Amino acid sequence: MRSLVEVTLRVNGIDHEVAIAPWRTLLEVLRETLALTGTKRSCGEGQCGTCTVLVDGKAVNACLYLAIEAQGRDVRTIEGPPQGDPALAEIQRAFAANGAVQCGFCTPGMVMVTRALLAGNPAPNEDEIREALVGHLCRCTGYVQIVEAIQDAAGRLARQEAH
Amino acid sequence: MSQLRRLPKFEFVGPRSLAEVCALTAEAAAGEVLLLAGGTDAILQMRRRERTPRRVVGLKGVRDLAFVRETGEGGLAIGAMTTLAELLAAPLVRSRYALLCETAAQIGGIELRNVATVGGNVAGALPCADLPPALMALEARVKLSSRRGERWVPLDEFFPEFGRTAARDGELVSEIGLPRPAPGSGGAYLKFHDRHSMDMTVVGVSACVTRDAERGVVRDLRLAFASAAPTVFRARRAEALLRGAALTEQALEEVAEAACREADPRTSWRANREYRQALVRSLTKRAIGQAWAKAAANEGAPS
Repeated sequence: MRSLVEVTLRVNGIDHEVAIAPWRTLLEVLRETLALTGTKRSCGEGQCGTCTVLVDGKAVNACLYLAIEAQGRDVRTIEGPPQGDPALAEIQRAFAANGAVQCGFCTPGMVMVTRALLAGNPAPNEDEIREALVGHLCRCTGYVQIVEAIQDAAGRLARQEAH
Repeated sequence: MSQLRRLPKFEFVGPRSLAEVCALTAEAAAGEVLLLAGGTDAILQMRRRERTPRRVVGLKGVRDLAFVRETGEGGLAIGAMTTLAELLAAPLVRSRYALLCETAAQIGGIELRNVATVGGNVAGALPCADLPPALMALEARVKLSSRRGERWVPLDEFFPEFGRTAARDGELVSEIGLPRPAPGSGGAYLKFHDRHSMDMTVVGVSACVTRDAERGVVRDLRLAFASAAPTVFRARRAEALLRGAALTEQALEEVAEAACREADPRTSWRANREYRQALVRSLTKRAIGQAWAKAAANEGAPS
């Protein structure tokens, strides 16, 4: 089968011209073609949330998304744009400060879903935070510190906004 | 680690409109083409090699199929490519079709709801799909479009057998139509599963009740089930037992028993047949009870 298709993928604000096979997932292309290995691969079924990235601002499982269908869309990963994303950085600081990271494998997905959550709801309550985490598994810290980190991140972003 | 395998090879086409999709499906031989809506089920099926299409038609760019609007008759029209997140955000759905919201909110996490679509949940014909029971209880119709034109099929006639739909060659699900709910009606969807929202439904029961407030009886009842037979189905014999009857403990037992006889659940590693039958029995009673309570609360409310 004649396979490679030339596409332009906009990832973290940068246009990448890549030749990809149409059956490759966004996760595979991010990690293997663009060497953006911050997005993790685990279950491959949309169950664990480690591969969560943002497509047009919405959290999606990159393992269930064809890379070719991300063409013309705005993809954001844990690496963030080169000029930095203050909100993303603040969320990461909140995760570190609250001990929400142990092995760290689930963290990129947790951080990305938090980025999407806080963009739409700057002051979520605990139920809303837990609801946002439904599609994310963490096998070491438990979820208490993660929820606390997200509450802290919301406060940090609100203060950042106020300055 | 079979779940980490790459997808099988295929050609990809990304049409931008319904007309383009119809042109593509008209050319294709049966089984050759896979219509990829959200992909949250289809990608997994391809990864497991349950489906190995020669060509995948990606529908994410077909924006003329993403809409939620009121119809001329006061009902609801839902475009097949409306995502579950879009459905949940639609004001008309929130105000008038609480059962749909309640059901969609129980499907997956936000990452899945952001891509999974109403049309994909219906056209996939999976017995464990959560939206079809709610849509069936709300008396949905399915619009099938092809280059030959379009036709409507009642949703409860749409799944003739496991994994199959009433769509013929070249037809795709383009829209779901719902009538306006009757005044004094209420619905509930109860599903049993291991992990909140994220696991396959072991059994799901959708109940829609219309109360006859004057006589204090059930005017109408519609019951539909997920994962309780090879297809999602409506338990019409069970429904008929309660129409015009008072909602007594005894009547509920009889309806649940009848629903159990209409169900034909399978044994899988998730649950065996007897366990699912027990779930059908108890969830049916609970779902009707909750729907009845909501119907009572909705009485007098504008709908």
